[in-house]
Order: sequence, then structure tokens, then C-alpha cells
Amino acid sequence: MIDNTIETQTQNLIQELRRGVIVLAVLSQLDQEQYGYSLMKRLEEQGMQIDQGTLYPLLRRLEEQNILESRWGMETSRPRRYYLLSSFGKEVLENMTVEWTRIRSTVDELLNLNKEK
Amino acid sequence: MKYIDLYLQEIERRLPLRNREDILKEIRSTLMDMIDDQNPAPDQAPDEEMVKSVLKEFGSPRKVAQRYNKHNYLIGPNLFPTYLQVLKVVLIIASGFSVLGLVIAIVSQTSVDSSMFEAIGESIAGLFSSLFTAFGIVTLSFAGIERTSPEQWKVKIESEWQPEDLLKEKDRKRVKITEIAFEITFTLIFIVVINSFLDRIGIYFLSDGRWVSEPIFNENFLRYIPWITTNAVLGILLDLYLIRKGYWDAAATIGKVFINALSIALSFVILTGPDFITINASALQGLNFDATFTAAQLTRVVNIAVDGLLGLSIFGTVVDSIRRIYETFIKGNYAHIEISEE
Repeated sequence: MIDNTIETQTQNLIQELRRGVIVLAVLSQLDQEQYGYSLMKRLEEQGMQIDQGTLYPLLRRLEEQNILESRWGMETSRPRRYYLLSSFGKEVLENMTVEWTRIRSTVDELLNLNKEK
Repeated sequence: MKYIDLYLQEIERRLPLRNREDILKEIRSTLMDMIDDQNPAPDQAPDEEMVKSVLKEFGSPRKVAQRYNKHNYLIGPNLFPTYLQVLKVVLIIASGFSVLGLVIAIVSQTSVDSSMFEAIGESIAGLFSSLFTAFGIVTLSFAGIERTSPEQWKVKIESEWQPEDLLKEKDRKRVKITEIAFEITFTLIFIVVINSFLDRIGIYFLSDGRWVSEPIFNENFLRYIPWITTNAVLGILLDLYLIRKGYWDAAATIGKVFINALSIALSFVILTGPDFITINASALQGLNFDATFTAAQLTRVVNIAVDGLLGLSIFGTVVDSIRRIYETFIKGNYAHIEISEE
């Protein structure tokens, strides 16, 4: 049986919606070096909750795609893996930001139109 | 820290080999950060309850490791249709051979008693085990392909599609995979039978309560066997090509016409050659009916009838070849495109 309550369907669709936006949120914070946990905290403080199970594998995937660079930092009490946007990644982020702005204004407009009807 | 070590071990054995150490190091570092963050007295060692709650928050080892694994499929969606197709063909062929085994088991029994039923029982058990084996081999092979083939190779499949392809598709003579699989099965069985069990094709009769068989093919037939086999093997190769291609293209038609030409030549040689069927007097006696003719007369009649059938099959094959050439090269002009693409 498909769970077809309003709450579950809303949750499912919201999750789908967030999936694409998470990458943008992560990249936006990585013009400065961050390690996984600090990045998560930082996003959380600004209202963007990311499941840790999603975040760390995502960081590795973005690194494999050359969008991020990483290094092990030994300066602190324990070794931490720091991530930073690569120059390639910076350009990707720029392009994504332009697209995001466009999508946002289009969808905002669409939603407002729907409300007026 | 006992819990953290155990936790990391559980994750470790589920992680891909690549980067395993690095991933674990990162997770450990993160867990420590989380503990520090939640420890009200940072200068004291964290208590066990807190460690446990952090681990609980981070998630089950299975779930954590799963996110790092790219291959969550045994056979991915790109390969799956091909997998099903191949599986179908292989299972049909495997069952065909098991049925052949069953028939041989029955035929080769000299008496009707419990040992015959035992042999049949064994063959049926063999059918299931060979089907499972075939299923296993195909599945493992595809799982292997899934893991070793490069990504772009899997994605490529539909990348160069053009709307014009629809027109080509419309004219294509699609092949039915199941039909071809049956054809391959029977051809393989045919090859096995004429090469290894020719002496079992014959007249069966009961003699003193035992089944006895008298072969009907004589030594004149033997020299044709390599040619008949070659022809059959070529047929199977063509079938395999058709399975891969999915439709009759120009190359397949040319291949089929070539095989047809070979069968025509072969039939002609057999037709004009010496009689190859002999019915022995003992077989005629064994059948036990009031014969008003001799075995030699019957042999003659049977050979004439077989020659007649061969003549008909030559005619049929010629018609088939002409039809194929017409359909592919004259009626459908797409065939030329196919050739230039290869």
C-alpha cells in the first residue's frame, strides 16, 4: 500500500526538492576551508539542516568531480579533513547561482500567479 | 571509546575498498567533534551514554556505509533489459537440452521398470538444477559487466537518437527473441542428435518385452553430417547476430540467403545421391503387422518420399530467399542506410 497521507507525500516531495538545493548550499559555504562537522554546524545555524549521512559522502563525490579540493589538517588537536572550492568549482558555483536566481524568480512568479486565481 | 571502535569496524566492513581508511578517519574525526560539542565538561572524558547517543544520531553503520557505496544495484537499470533478454534465451536453451536429456533417458532404457522411472526422476531434477545454474551464470556475468564497464559506455545507448530513426524503426522486421531462442535450442538438439545419437533414430518395437530399435539411416548418410552440421551452426550464428541486432538488417538477410544457398546445394546433393535410408527386414518383422511388401520395397518407397520432401524444401528455400531479398533490398530502402552505417 502506498502511504498517501498529506504529511508523507509532502515530506517525500520536499525531500526531493531539497536534494538539488543541498549541493548549492554546501558549495556556497566552501569559499573558505571547512571540515565536515563545522560545515554542517554552519549550515544548520543558517537554517539549512543536512543529514550527516548525506553530507560527508556528498563532499567526497564533489571532490571526485574536481569541484572541491581537500587536505588533512593537522593543526588542531585531531586531524580533520578540510574542503575548499577549487577554481573549477568556483565557476560551477557561479553558473549554478545564476541558474538558481532564474529558477527562483520564475517559480516565485508562478506561485504568485496561482494564488491570485 | 570502545563503542566508537566497534562502530567504525562495522562501517569498515561495509565500505568500498577504495578510500576506506580515509573515510573511516574522517568519520572518526567527525564523531569526536560531535562528542566534544555535546560534552558539558570538555576536559573530562565523555561518558558512555553520550557516546552512544552520538552514534545513534550519526546512524546505523549499514546506513552510513551505504551512502558511500556507488553500486547499490546488482544489475543496474541500463543493463537490466538486456539481462532479461539474455536470461530468457539461455533459460529456453537450457530447458531444451534438459528435455532432450529426459527423452534420451527414456529412449535409452531397455526395459519398462522402476529403473526407467528413476532415470526420468533424475532427468527432471537435472532440469531444475541446470535452470538454476544457467540463471546463476547469466546473473553473475551481468553483475560483473555492471561493475567493470565504464560509465559512459552504459549511458551511451540512446544518446544519438534522431526522430528520423522512427521511420527506420517502422520498416524494420523485428525478431522475436523467444522464437529465436527456440530455434537455437532445436538446432543445437538437432546437431547433437545427428552427431551422437544417429543410431537411435529408427524403428522401435517390443521384442520379448524389451524395447529394441533398428536404425534407419545407413552409411550413405554419414558423409553429409559434417555439412548438415556446418549449415546448422551457421544458422545459430545468424540467430545470435539477430538477437544482438533485434531486427533483420541487410547483413542478416545476406547471411540468411547464403545459408539458404548452402542448404539448397546440400539438399540437391543428398537428393541426387544414393539412398540413405534402409529399413531392415528385422525391423519390419518387429513391428509385427501383416506386410504385403518386403523391406526392400518399403525402403524404396520411403526414399522416394524423402526425396520428394527434399525437393519441396529446395523449392521452399528458393521462395524464402527471393522473398527476403525482395523485402530487404527492393521494398524497404532503409537497408542501404544500414549497410553504410556499419
